[in-house]
Amino acid sequence: MDQQSTLDALAQARETLTRQAKEIEALQQRLQREQFAEELQQLLTSLEATSIILAPFTHSQLLEMVVRTAAQVIAAQAGSLFLIDEEAQDLVFEVAIGPKSQAVKQFRVPLGHGIAGMVAVSGQPMAISHAREDQRLAVDIASSIDYVPESVLCVPLFYNDRVIGALELLDKMGAPSFSPTDMEILALFAKMAAIAIAQSRAYQDQRSVLNALLRSFGEKDPDHRQRLYRGAIAFSNWMEKDTVADTKARKLALLVHELTSYGENEYEMCVNILQSFVTNLRNRQGGYDFSLSGTVQGRSI
Amino acid sequence: MNMQPAWSSQFTHETIRRISLDPPVDSITWEDACEGSTGKGVKVAVIDSGIDATHPAIQGPVNGYVEIRAGDDGLVYNEEPHEDAYGHATACAGIIRAIAPECELYSIKVLGKALVGTGTIFMAGVRWAIDHDMHVCNLSLGTTKKDFFASLHELTDLAYFRRVVLVSAANNLPIPSFPSMYASVISVASHQEKEQDPYRFYYNPEPPVEFGAPGIDVRVAWQNQQWITATGNSFAAPHITGIVARILGKHPGLTPFQIKTVLRTLAANASRP
Repeated sequence: MDQQSTLDALAQARETLTRQAKEIEALQQRLQREQFAEELQQLLTSLEATSIILAPFTHSQLLEMVVRTAAQVIAAQAGSLFLIDEEAQDLVFEVAIGPKSQAVKQFRVPLGHGIAGMVAVSGQPMAISHAREDQRLAVDIASSIDYVPESVLCVPLFYNDRVIGALELLDKMGAPSFSPTDMEILALFAKMAAIAIAQSRAYQDQRSVLNALLRSFGEKDPDHRQRLYRGAIAFSNWMEKDTVADTKARKLALLVHELTSYGENEYEMCVNILQSFVTNLRNRQGGYDFSLSGTVQGRSI
Repeated sequence: MNMQPAWSSQFTHETIRRISLDPPVDSITWEDACEGSTGKGVKVAVIDSGIDATHPAIQGPVNGYVEIRAGDDGLVYNEEPHEDAYGHATACAGIIRAIAPECELYSIKVLGKALVGTGTIFMAGVRWAIDHDMHVCNLSLGTTKKDFFASLHELTDLAYFRRVVLVSAANNLPIPSFPSMYASVISVASHQEKEQDPYRFYYNPEPPVEFGAPGIDVRVAWQNQQWITATGNSFAAPHITGIVARILGKHPGLTPFQIKTVLRTLAANASRP
């Protein structure tokens, strides 16, 4: 064996030893810190990254798409989705589309005020026509922004068995009023919106639970740690039930999350590459009517 | 000793009571059912957002009021005259008075401007109506909260046994709404006709929704002395309430199941032999 070969073999052996030492150290650390702590950390990172990537779709944009599609299918000029703020006892505009949609978003609707307030409190859907005859209806807000509808259709949003908001369409196109069929169709859209909201809220809840688990990991009490362990197992089982699409999305989210941690330049490059890729895909498929870029740039990743 | 099960004691030779088959409810005509009746003497409760007695559609006095709301130490009952929080109760009361102009109207206000305790307040409203011997109650609202399923079921059964007719609007949404799903109430949805004949309604032989009444583009009274054109099952139910008030004005004492049979006989889709 020549000298170079010996040096190579030694270098390889050193590398192997170093790697093994690191692995042993990692294993020891993992045992010391309890195995599931690291798993939880990874899951939290994954969850955080996924929520950043998916949140615009699962919540705001999805809700906007629901309202937009409902308005298109039912042939309405404008639409809004309100959620109840239980503390303030009023309705908050979550989505508004159509003429004056930006202006209307600044308003809150007190419960007991107008059609949406009544539908939210009574849980009964309702439609009105010739609304302009009384501008004090739902339309006191509308009149203040110079948009008074002729017809209104409003259905409640249920989450489990509770009303959490209302979905409203304004101005039926091509007819003086909304029909009972329109009411039934809008109720189906309301169900979709409620599911999107429920998922988003459940996601937030799970993140809170996970954070609490990690925070209390330093707990010395063995019983408490055992309970945490059982919680982690349950959570892990829940994660495994994810669909293939979820798993793929999470994988992509983790990559994006990692890329954005390298620095501002890398972040910009990542956004540009993704943007170009998505634009290319949209052009190929005929395009969507909303923009991803604005939302991604608007969030602090 | 002659021991009998408790409920059988009502069927001994001495205790059994004769009943009248007049009117013949399964072959009754509109004339026999309510001709000449204006609903006079019939107490009709509107359990809703509070009737505005000053609206011209009410055409007469509101005979009693109670507003129920959540207080710090439980429910608070206020029997002073009140206003309509939304216009919804006035719309229902206007439809009822248009059909039964001399019925006695009682405004039971359970819908306010808060969501807190709405299920409990709604139940208290139904109980108030039973305790104050109302004959017919219009319920153009309901609750979807499953927590109230059993207790509301019990309450509507009590109304049925006390001969208080509960007319309940079905919800258009694919979610069960109580009490419209119960057999002890008369459940009403809108029929699809835009024809504004308040007496034209249909019977559905496949419940839970039993009757279809006008509820599309109905001209109704609203807040601030206004009128609006509205669509919803909320406005179908008071048509049936008004008709029941007229029937009871002519035939006081009919039980809820007799009323249902009369309505079925008078339905536009019922054919006579």
